[in-house]
Amino acid sequence: MRLFKTTSIRFMKYKYVALGITILIILAGALNIVFGKGLKLGVDFGEGTLIRVMFKAPVSVGDIRNLLGEVGLGNSIIQEAGKEGREFQIRTMEVISTKEGPELESHEKQANAVISALRGDDGQTERAAGQMDLNGVDRRTLAALLETQFPGQGEGLADKIIGRRTTTGIYSEFAQLSEAGVGPDVVSFLQGKTYLGKLTILSRETVGPQVGKDLRSRATRAIIWSLIGMLVYIAFRFRLANGVAAIFTLTQDVLITLTVYSFTNREINLPIIAGLLTIVGFSINDTIVIFDRIRENQKNLRKMPLEEVMNLSLNQMLSRTFITSGTVLLTVLALFFFGGKVINDFAFVMLVGTIEGVYSTVYLSCPFVLFWQNLFKPTKGSRR
Amino acid sequence: MKKGLQWKLILTLGVTALSIFLFFPPKDKIKLGLDLKGGIHLVLQVMTDDAVTIETDQEIARLQEQLKKKNITFKTMVKGDAGKFTIQGLGLDQEAGLKGVLDESFQEWDYSFLGDTISLQLKDPTVRYLKEQAVTQALETIRNRVDVMGVSEPMIQRQGMAGDRIVVELPGIEDPDRVKSIIKTTAILEWKLVRAGPAPDEATLLASTGGTAPEDAQVVKGDPNREPGFYLLDRVATVSGKDLRTVRRSVDEWNSPAVSFSLDPEGGRRFEKATGENIGKQIAIVLDNRVISAPRVESVIPAATGGIIRGRFTAEEAEDLVVVLKAGSLPAGIRYLEERTIGPSLGADSVRQGLFSFFLAIISVMAFMIIYYRMSGINAIVALILNIVILFGALAYFRAALTLPGIAGIILSVGMAVDANVLIFERIKEEKELGKGILNSIATGFARAFSAIFDSNLTTIISAVFLFQFGTGPIRGYATTLIIGLTANMFTAVFVSRLIFDLTVPKTARKLSI
Repeated sequence: MRLFKTTSIRFMKYKYVALGITILIILAGALNIVFGKGLKLGVDFGEGTLIRVMFKAPVSVGDIRNLLGEVGLGNSIIQEAGKEGREFQIRTMEVISTKEGPELESHEKQANAVISALRGDDGQTERAAGQMDLNGVDRRTLAALLETQFPGQGEGLADKIIGRRTTTGIYSEFAQLSEAGVGPDVVSFLQGKTYLGKLTILSRETVGPQVGKDLRSRATRAIIWSLIGMLVYIAFRFRLANGVAAIFTLTQDVLITLTVYSFTNREINLPIIAGLLTIVGFSINDTIVIFDRIRENQKNLRKMPLEEVMNLSLNQMLSRTFITSGTVLLTVLALFFFGGKVINDFAFVMLVGTIEGVYSTVYLSCPFVLFWQNLFKPTKGSRR
Repeated sequence: MKKGLQWKLILTLGVTALSIFLFFPPKDKIKLGLDLKGGIHLVLQVMTDDAVTIETDQEIARLQEQLKKKNITFKTMVKGDAGKFTIQGLGLDQEAGLKGVLDESFQEWDYSFLGDTISLQLKDPTVRYLKEQAVTQALETIRNRVDVMGVSEPMIQRQGMAGDRIVVELPGIEDPDRVKSIIKTTAILEWKLVRAGPAPDEATLLASTGGTAPEDAQVVKGDPNREPGFYLLDRVATVSGKDLRTVRRSVDEWNSPAVSFSLDPEGGRRFEKATGENIGKQIAIVLDNRVISAPRVESVIPAATGGIIRGRFTAEEAEDLVVVLKAGSLPAGIRYLEERTIGPSLGADSVRQGLFSFFLAIISVMAFMIIYYRMSGINAIVALILNIVILFGALAYFRAALTLPGIAGIILSVGMAVDANVLIFERIKEEKELGKGILNSIATGFARAFSAIFDSNLTTIISAVFLFQFGTGPIRGYATTLIIGLTANMFTAVFVSRLIFDLTVPKTARKLSI
């Protein structure tokens, strides 16, 4: 089976059109980033606090915003993370910057303010009555509590109950305890001694300004060095033109992906950086595979002008380009739809990058080599 | 079977067996990063200037003492920035005497005279040494505290260009706030005699002493939850945390949680003397510059008996105090720069969904390869599985934790592994269409595709090496799996895949299922 029989598409004919499209997309992105919505630096690279919470019962973004508005944090970014309207991601925006000193503490206070605003007066009467929050209690304390009624079984029961809580995130009602595999006597005992708090904190990340700055500068440095490394190696194995073209191609891959990204509401966090790096990896792979074929064809077809060689090589590699990108797309789609919330941003970037990568391999690296060769060709001229 | 093939087969099987051995059972051998497993990630900065300031204080006291002995007079000593102070109003004709003292026993200080004012500055190597010491000690103390808490597999490392940052990673912690406060407590514990107090504010406290604290005393605030108010205390501590021999959680006579302690012989003697001389007076127990308790001395406390700290503690607070006292105090203050708490359920969710989608992806890619390349697809699948097996073996061997960015690296290397096979197979098809024989097509296909595979894998490896070298944690996680995966790829996609063709395609083959 072959995806494409022998094709002879004159890819290079459309190089100017392609160049125009690329410039348009990047321009739109640049405009949007500079004047429009802009890129939102996530908590990893900016600063502030990111809290993920899960509620016992569904609530709406509006409800949360109202609660936060009461403590003056209504401008926080609130995103729904799960499908049932119970999981949310909250990023506080109001940044308290003091010159030197306890910046992180102020972020932390803010995080505490968010959490207590969300909780409201939930559980106050229960706590006053000496009950503890089953959605917040730790294993040790729970084991100690159970030990009072069920001597010798406290540890085991607590393990079961906390284990179930770890899998589902939160207990919505006491009936769910039986799914954890504990007897009705335990359930009724806990009903008397504990209550179910309305929310649980899934994660909480606070990054101070120094670290954000540090991470940015180190990531930049790492990327610049790795670009130089690639440039040198490709220039050594092929020509300088190819090296520059490869770097140019992957730069625009990143730019186009960021452009698309800037139109979504997502933030730039570390998983996004991993995604961008992966796109760069695939892009460089594609580019080199094509360059390799051009290199080989040039050896065998010395008389053929470079542009024709490129067309021929791209046609020869067409099946491979689509099969490889197709398999990557399969992987990425699986991650995007089933990978869970932590992976979702990453998968989204990959999705954009993979689709865009097919285009860039054909329409960026090759034309760029052509332009470069024309620009710096020896005065004699080997082309017609 | 050809002799060369035998060895190739043995090598392949050997590598497979070794890798499986290395990561089996995966639950124990493959470490998961905090983003997947849950836990606490903290970045702290040691305020190294604190250590220099403390040293400066001690040196000022030492100099004052020596000058007193030699009858060298001066008006005052003024402390500047960390590691700097000036002597002002030096007596007439005493320059030579002071120089002598400084040259003899203050060699770590640079000094310069300007009239009757002398500026002293701690020498750079000494400052560096003190700062270095402070970080090393802080690292050691934090490690001790974490050990006492009994966290399994903690990671505590120095980081940062100035070397004053410490990264603490504690997997599977349930109570992050408690851990944070335990790590952060400086835990400088001192017993100081009370001169006045408690008073509701500083002015009332100092009314009897004319509005300012005497030279050898200081105002210390009480811990608002335990002993609210202001105290006027001796500047010099009677005994401190350094004199402790043992600390242990206990209860006082009303059965409230407390911490009992005993002192080493030297500290015990001082404590005995101080309590003997101050019966009826209060002695304050000061933790990190906050009075936590100010009991009245009722009788002499003999050197050997030790005592009890009662601070209206909850059971947990008493236990935490024991932890920090046992592990020793921090030589300098600590500031949090970054903290991430990933709850166990978020981690568990990530792992479950991540694994599911990963396997789904792998299986659909494999299905595609079989549909498209038929029998040869199996070849690619074997190479792909072997690649993943080697990757996990190497991860287990290097004890590298698998993180989310690490999974990104795996996806890229799996993608490139598939691509390598696609390149080879497509090339074999092309060669076949040119009318070459089966074996010839296979040989040429591999030979021609090799340069592309080699160049693209090596370029990516080069970039990953740089990312590893210069990047931070997450970027490194990505680079690690990528370097391993691509190196394995060169072996599986080219060497192993070829071996399978050599083993399965008969010499006389006229058809190839591809």
